[in-house]
Amino acid sequence: MDNRTILSRFAAAAFAGASFFATTAAFAGEVTIWCWDPNFNVAIMKEAGERYTAKHPETTFNIVDFAKADVEQKLQTALSSGTTDALPDIVLIEDYGAQKYLQSFPGAFAEMSGTVDYSGFAPYKVQLMTVDGKVYGMPFDSGVTGFYYRKDYLEQAGFKPADVQDITWDRFIEIGKQVEEKTGKKMMGLDITDAGFTRILMQSAGQWYFDAEGNLSIENNTALKAALETQQKILQAGVYKPSSGWSDWVGSFTSGDVATVTTGVWITGTVKAQADQSGKWGVAPIPSLGIEGATHASNLGGSSWYVLESSAEKAEAIAFLNETYAKDIDFYQKILTERGAVGSLLAARTGEAYMKADEFFGGETVWQNFSDWLSKVPPVNYGIFTNEVDTAVTAHLPSLAQGANIDEVLKQIQSQAEGQIQ
Amino acid sequence: MTQIATPSPRVRRLLPETATYITLSIAAFVSVFPFLWMLISSTNTSIDIIKGKTSFGAAFSTNVVNFFTQVDVPLVFWNSAKVSILTTLLTIAVSSLAGYGFEMFRSKMRDRLYALVLLTLMVPFAALMIPLFMMMGRAGLINTHIGILLPTIASAFIIFYFRQSTKAFPTELRDAAKVDGLKEWQIFLYIYVPVMRSTFAAAFVIIFMTSWNNYLWPLIVLQSNETKTITLVVSSLASAYYPDFGVVMIGTILATLPTLLVFFIMQRQFVAGMLGSVK
Repeated sequence: MDNRTILSRFAAAAFAGASFFATTAAFAGEVTIWCWDPNFNVAIMKEAGERYTAKHPETTFNIVDFAKADVEQKLQTALSSGTTDALPDIVLIEDYGAQKYLQSFPGAFAEMSGTVDYSGFAPYKVQLMTVDGKVYGMPFDSGVTGFYYRKDYLEQAGFKPADVQDITWDRFIEIGKQVEEKTGKKMMGLDITDAGFTRILMQSAGQWYFDAEGNLSIENNTALKAALETQQKILQAGVYKPSSGWSDWVGSFTSGDVATVTTGVWITGTVKAQADQSGKWGVAPIPSLGIEGATHASNLGGSSWYVLESSAEKAEAIAFLNETYAKDIDFYQKILTERGAVGSLLAARTGEAYMKADEFFGGETVWQNFSDWLSKVPPVNYGIFTNEVDTAVTAHLPSLAQGANIDEVLKQIQSQAEGQIQ
Repeated sequence: MTQIATPSPRVRRLLPETATYITLSIAAFVSVFPFLWMLISSTNTSIDIIKGKTSFGAAFSTNVVNFFTQVDVPLVFWNSAKVSILTTLLTIAVSSLAGYGFEMFRSKMRDRLYALVLLTLMVPFAALMIPLFMMMGRAGLINTHIGILLPTIASAFIIFYFRQSTKAFPTELRDAAKVDGLKEWQIFLYIYVPVMRSTFAAAFVIIFMTSWNNYLWPLIVLQSNETKTITLVVSSLASAYYPDFGVVMIGTILATLPTLLVFFIMQRQFVAGMLGSVK
């Protein structure tokens, strides 16, 4: 065997080895997207991609699904290491975390203010992706809140649907007492180890854990104070069914044990899954805190799409998002019908699916209502440490049940939050 | 006058035995329960699982069908198997040689070098992750399976394990082989490997399991659906807003099976290897 055959054999082996490991080579015109939930975000993005490819056949999509925490981990690692070629073209980020990424990695995400007409979206969704007047994302699903109530239970207690429209939480408790007296049912399921309800109440009055400048705002936060007071009243009045954990909480209303649910619109699918309760439910605006700035609209959860500045397909990615998510009304009808997704584009309400009356809710046009509330959700600054402050709030919720002084609780939350942020 | 009953010798012998069995049964139950729960859950619908149903249901085939339609099972298993088997073989090759070398060759620097190797055990992976990721990025190995296995094949723990086991390897064997004219690599291959085979088997089990279950590093390196390993797929399934827990359970069972199989097949050698190859 001469040297040449050895060399060529070696080369062949090396080549085989290389091709064995070589996997994806991005070619021009492929937009890579990272997101979570195969049945929701992935499926919706596939639909959007198909619509775009139908018009622009040269563009294809590679949608990669990872768990939500995994997407965050990967994004964080790639951005911190500056290995930008390891990033996708588009990534899904949860709204509460958006400011953290935008402010921690300035220049990493593509500004879209010039291209996208943001006036068509719910203002609070645009606010959360704005830094120094520049807007960086494409608003996606909304967690606009609704007050889902059992008409049959309320009726037994002597209330008509009109009696729960635009009420305050104090009135809610009064109604709750009568509902329990007449039907034996509790008014709501409440998990005091979860700060979700607190967040709904606080945002409904236009405030957050942070003020407009991003400074921690706990002790002098009138909305947070009212939110905690309201929960304390609910706890003391005993009109709630205690739940531990998500599935237990969901079980509180699917089983018919409670008369109302106040949460994000994404729960609609779960409510409607109980076919035997069809016609028994109604949806009203959520009760208000009754303080200055209080409204009947709020939000829980939601996420949005961001284009990476380093992306080779940046222009294409922005054009794609703009054409589908900012303009395609029909697309929003399809994702609402098939996936139960409520987007943030206000004009979506003019479509067929949004106009439809829902027999489950006694023939109400619930999507028109949600669309109304969507436009009214008060914009707040989610800041960069929402999750950290959430932990501090959650730690102090149980003390409300023991009648703790709210001002004291706020002080403790403030100091714990300060400790966690620094 | 009442007589205080003294237990008969039989009872006295049985008592501690019963206590042992009760303790062991509790321990066995605690370790087996998650597997049992996993099996039970795989036969129930997602809703029943959330409700905490503890009996077998009828949804097993539905769950299996759903899992196979949602996941490209052959591809994902091929990816996992490829990474795990290559990692195992390469780690054994590199680390056994290192362990052998550290024990067999005496030099001034040996123990300092060895201490340095052991020191790397103290650095948590999370601290290495970003620099490693940058290296892989520069080398163009992101989203490749070789990018997952390269940083793991020089395993300080396995080197340590081989060196410790080699301490029991009789140096007379090596000396005799040398007298007979064997070169060092021949001694390693023809004498050391056969003598130490249960050490090798135990190392195989340990590395294979670690590699198969490895999560964080593959997660960081892999970027596309085509390269993903089973651990990433199960994680993705479980993180949906409304996860289908029945499908997740099928995924978990399938992900557990290979490590169970490897362990049961090599159990005897594994135990022998942990006790030391040379008696």
